Amino acid sequence: MTTLVRPRTPEAVGVSTFGEWPAVAGGDGGHRPGLRERRVAEETVRDAAEERAGRTVHLGAGVLALSVLADSALEHYRGSFHNKAMVAPLVSATLSLATNAPATFGARAPLPLLDAVQAAAAATGVAGLGFHAFNIGKRPGGLSWLNLFYAAPVGAPFALALSGFFGRCAVRLAGDSRTLFGWPAGRLLAATAAGGLIGTAAEAGLLHFRGAYHNPAMALPVTIPPVAAGLLAAAALKPAPALRRAARVGLVATAAVGVAGVGFHLFGVSRNMGGFRNLSQNLLNGPPVPAPPSFLGLALIGLAALSLMEANDA
Amino acid sequence: MRERYPGYDVLAKRDTPSWNDQTRRAIDARMAIPLAARRFFSDDEWPTVQAICGRIVPQPRDRARPAPVAAMIDAKLAADDRDGYRHASMPPQREAWRRGVRAIDAEAQARLGARFHALAPDAQDEVLKAAQRGEARSDAWGDMPPAEFFRARLLHDVLGAYYAHPSAWSEIGFGGPASPRGYVRMNFDRRDPWEAAEALPGREADARRDNASVR
Amino acid sequence: MKPTPGVTMLPSDNPLTTPRATNGRAPDVFRPGAWTPMRCWSDDDEVDFAIVGTGAGGGALACKLAEYGFSVVAFDAGPYWRPLEDFVSDEREQSKLYWTDERIVDGDNPLRPGSNNCGKSVGGSTVHFAMVSLRFRPEWFKARTTLGYGADWPLDWREMWTYYREVEETLTISGPVTYPWGPKRPRYPYRPHELNAAALVLAEGAEALGIPWSATPLATLSAPRGLSPPCVYRGMCVIGCSTNAKQSVLLTWLPRALKAGAEIRDLAMVGRIEHDGRGLATGVRYHREGRWRFQRARNVVVAGYAIETPRLLLNSASAKFPDGLANSSGLVGKNLMVQANQAVWGLMEREIRAYKGPPSLALTEHWNYKDDGKDFFGGYAYMSQGPLPVAWSSVLAGQRGLWGQGLLDAMQDYNHQVGLKIVGECMAQERNRVTLADETDRYGLKIPRVTYSYCDNDRRLIAHSLAFMRVALEAAGARDIWDETDDTCHLNGTARMGDDPRTSVVDADCRAWDMRNLWVCDGSVFPTVGGVNPSLTIQAIACRTADRIKTLARRGEL
Repeated sequence: MTTLVRPRTPEAVGVSTFGEWPAVAGGDGGHRPGLRERRVAEETVRDAAEERAGRTVHLGAGVLALSVLADSALEHYRGSFHNKAMVAPLVSATLSLATNAPATFGARAPLPLLDAVQAAAAATGVAGLGFHAFNIGKRPGGLSWLNLFYAAPVGAPFALALSGFFGRCAVRLAGDSRTLFGWPAGRLLAATAAGGLIGTAAEAGLLHFRGAYHNPAMALPVTIPPVAAGLLAAAALKPAPALRRAARVGLVATAAVGVAGVGFHLFGVSRNMGGFRNLSQNLLNGPPVPAPPSFLGLALIGLAALSLMEANDA
Repeated sequence: MRERYPGYDVLAKRDTPSWNDQTRRAIDARMAIPLAARRFFSDDEWPTVQAICGRIVPQPRDRARPAPVAAMIDAKLAADDRDGYRHASMPPQREAWRRGVRAIDAEAQARLGARFHALAPDAQDEVLKAAQRGEARSDAWGDMPPAEFFRARLLHDVLGAYYAHPSAWSEIGFGGPASPRGYVRMNFDRRDPWEAAEALPGREADARRDNASVR
Repeated sequence: MKPTPGVTMLPSDNPLTTPRATNGRAPDVFRPGAWTPMRCWSDDDEVDFAIVGTGAGGGALACKLAEYGFSVVAFDAGPYWRPLEDFVSDEREQSKLYWTDERIVDGDNPLRPGSNNCGKSVGGSTVHFAMVSLRFRPEWFKARTTLGYGADWPLDWREMWTYYREVEETLTISGPVTYPWGPKRPRYPYRPHELNAAALVLAEGAEALGIPWSATPLATLSAPRGLSPPCVYRGMCVIGCSTNAKQSVLLTWLPRALKAGAEIRDLAMVGRIEHDGRGLATGVRYHREGRWRFQRARNVVVAGYAIETPRLLLNSASAKFPDGLANSSGLVGKNLMVQANQAVWGLMEREIRAYKGPPSLALTEHWNYKDDGKDFFGGYAYMSQGPLPVAWSSVLAGQRGLWGQGLLDAMQDYNHQVGLKIVGECMAQERNRVTLADETDRYGLKIPRVTYSYCDNDRRLIAHSLAFMRVALEAAGARDIWDETDDTCHLNGTARMGDDPRTSVVDADCRAWDMRNLWVCDGSVFPTVGGVNPSLTIQAIACRTADRIKTLARRGEL
């Protein structure tokens, strides 16, 4: 029998930032304890790892939601909210953020509510995909480069859908860390995070193509995250520690891309005409400052997936 | 007619990123031109020039900052800033203006028995329309074709002055100076918060509210 | 010579009255108040090339020749602008960019040179051009042979294709990912700009009529490049870009030219080319800082565009060449070709606000590439439009005779106005020409008289375009449509290139048949104009000419 909220382990209490990643699960100390003692220790470590993984998924989903919230706020403000539905992702992402954020620190709302919020975010994201595809299609030229560049972006609602999905995963992990929707939890998370990374990298690729890759750093989000996604997917298919280690490195690098991207984009804003003084224009016409953290969110989820796989495979 | 952009004042953006220093200097200087500033036209010509400008661009009487159209033309002629071309039938711009103003007065005298500026607005328009059609009764035109003067010189210079004035920009809902800040929203029916809001019939109050926050 | 230390912007720094490019330095156009070192030559130095004009032709050529190691002094009658500091967001103020020295115009369709096609600035009219950067249709280089009109160029389109590429890369053209017309070309360096509503109207009309359309390849940045920021869509391109997003000659070729050792002399009006007893040019007589001076040169290049170039050649007449230089064919000044620039205008229910963004963000070259169904030779492109208030009032007054309350009322529709405008090919006619008038300008030089009349073919092309665009505009939902029938743009053809000294002024290398160290490098050399804006082609020809000069010099044939 599982309890909804597990007793806090000493290790888990201290974990509040993604800076403190669990060491490789099952890592042992210098002495060789007895079998029973070791099992208990392993159980504790695994429980702690799963606990942390669940929270990390919440954190990742929350970062995604924050990225979507800020990005859609900017972009839909730019679009003058001419369609009332353009408020939906703001509301949905805000709720998603409001539930994922406390859950990251272990303070969960009642589960059904939590789940409903995440489901709503996912549904809003999926609906947004439809709206945005319609917006592209109705412009002269239809599915053309010009409209892919400048009509409503497909990638943004996709991120909201992912945020909702991972939020639901995190809710479920609290109850059962081994399976999700009937699939092995770590692997499912790994596979979907990998897919999310590929999709987000595709979006960055499209928009950086629009920017003609004028800065070599613009190649980073279309190289590192796809590599990380590939390693993550491989690790999901084949439980090999070496693959997991490689995937972990790739995901940490992807997370770094997500953080550094904000800096790069701020630099981009600053070098547009008028710089920060002309913020009312450059925040909207410059590179989107809130977009890169999507990579951070997905990388966090990928790392959590790796931890879960390690814990469950141990 | 109803006001299309109620409450919109392009000058509200003067101290925003839409205006750079050199633009502020240039427009400030233009705004500071007194209505009666004059270096080129004579005492005799001046009332006629002012009256002509008043008919070509009849500005609202209650306008806070009327465009000093006649004074701007006077300044152009005083500096002899030309356009780069002149039809072979036309004298240089200074001579064209002097002769044209004299001829319009002479036409007014010949047709209606008074100098141009002394006529009622409708009568003034009649004299101007005759010039536009190329009808000359007075020999004050000399060999200068009245229609060419009216189109290429008079309209060209009057409109060039009027639509270079912020009051005219506000009137037509033009964004005005835009540097370093340009525009973001380019699609149909989209305005940036620093652009004029057009009043839909019956929704003037909404536009007035939006225009009050243009900056 | 080293720049004077400690001297930046003096209060008396008026680029219209005091030259800026002097004493070993020229303005750094990218940094306010900054200077860039400039190699300087004395009048007595016999430089390899004295180039008259620093626009699309002269500016590109000065850069390339300097990079090939030639000594180059380039003269421009206009000021050396610092766009970030000097350019105002205002039509009236920015008329300072135009060549407003008087020209006498006549003919059946007198031109209005000045704001729309003549620059008086270092960088020439590219400082205020609309940035539309199109390649010729390949067949136009052999218009006579392949299409049955005009004249063949002595150039091969495949060779030009490589030079077009060089110019597109230099100007970092922002253009569509794939271009719908003509032979395959490499992808434009930067991506297209977002369309404004005026451009979307063109697109909707074209789609309704089932013809292709495209985002316009433009010489303004859609992403940062070097010290230039991307376009902010302020829509004032044709009165000078104050953000440096526009990739004019002033910002592209000339900084490179300075770096390579060229000297640029601003406010330097060349009045006469001198020659020796053998009939070879010896240098140029020019007016700068209040006096006439003479620069010695081994070669002289005239790049003043299709009015000033023939004017200079004609004003340089001497006892040996009484009809002007390079004029044994009698063709200097003849075959002046403009491009038809007619438009249809209408009102949309939706707000357009065409003042936002570059004026011509979308275009169609359909009638440049389609040959059947036409009752005229040549072709035309048409583009979306974004006139600023003064220009727009002038169209309403000039075309529709509006003034008074009628004009003020019509101007109230400014934000709903939408238009399509052609760049249409006009035929070369010898009667369309630049001659010298009796009047003189402030330098004491005879001013040009520009005579222009359409021919029947031109009129048929215009009628076709107006009828077609009217349908397109209607299909996009415009109402109250009317025609603007009398505008023209661009100037070409008054010193045409060819294979035969009897029927052309210069050869394929832009070298004068009559005076082998005299060259012409601007739109004057065009034998035909095609239906696209000429600046890209002028620059491509300049690049080719530079390569040819390098080759000829190596062979000792200069």
